[in-house]
Amino acid sequence: MMQVLLFKTGEPKQIVVEQLAESDYKLITKSKYHFNWKEQKSNDVYKLRLIENEEILGLMSLKIHIDETRIEIVLLACSIENTGNNKMYDRIAGNLIAFACREAIKWFGADACVSLLPKTELKKYYIIKYGMLDAGRQIYLESNALFTLLKEYKV
Amino acid sequence: MKTNENKFTLDEIADSVVSPIRLTRAERKLADAELAEARRKNKEGITGDQPLYAKVLQLRFLMEDYAKSEIFDQELSFASFLRKYIRLNYKANKNFANDISLKEAELSLILNRHRLPNEKMIVRLALHSNNLIPAISWYRVLAIEKEHELQSNTAFKEKQNKHVKNRLHFE
Repeated sequence: MMQVLLFKTGEPKQIVVEQLAESDYKLITKSKYHFNWKEQKSNDVYKLRLIENEEILGLMSLKIHIDETRIEIVLLACSIENTGNNKMYDRIAGNLIAFACREAIKWFGADACVSLLPKTELKKYYIIKYGMLDAGRQIYLESNALFTLLKEYKV
Repeated sequence: MKTNENKFTLDEIADSVVSPIRLTRAERKLADAELAEARRKNKEGITGDQPLYAKVLQLRFLMEDYAKSEIFDQELSFASFLRKYIRLNYKANKNFANDISLKEAELSLILNRHRLPNEKMIVRLALHSNNLIPAISWYRVLAIEKEHELQSNTAFKEKQNKHVKNRLHFE
């Protein structure tokens, strides 16, 4: 079962990642989730929440490139209150990336790949935090790097 | 170092946000070509068992999503998942049956949906996959099938009718 951790105590809390419902768009404002998520409606948008309540802790927009056996993380954000050192829960972004890996495996099996196009100054942080591989402008996960993240997040 | 635009350090941003950069069509094409080349090189270093590991995981995730849907699908029976599992690593059912100490005829009955597997077999399947597909994943797929059978088998229910006496009555 996937889990986030209470940032202050490290206590695990069970989570679920599920497809965003149309009615959710009213709740996910730019002031609470960093971006205008309505612009992502043409992609597959997922939300992460605790099993015990409906509050959305993080969001992720995915684009599936079938010809390239790859899923691209177009956009990902934790809620504002879960961003920075005063956040309530830890490991939200990692769980969302691990979920993208799960989807990639489901779609493409042994050829699965998850990629993202980061801001240059953030690239090294993603590589260190999530074990992503360097492909120049883009970074990606596949084969062992992808399996390691799945294990790390208990997917 | 805190960024001006949002008061968070780069480390904090990487921990919470993936925001894309805007590229021209030509830049995007170049970035995709770089990625394809990096993946090609990475594939050259892939060892023997990684593709099988990925395919077993794929099957597990498909099973889990099907079980979560709770809707019976004739095409997604326990037998169909088992058949796919066997084909990942075996050419002959006989060899697989042998590896989980099952008679070939019994495996055949299960694969042809004339018999449902027992718990012993489910545990052996999990052990065979090195728990990459846990017993609970097999069990949940089976549970959907059993539930469907219970709901739809009216002849069986009618047959049981004569065996029940002193039924509870409610106003």
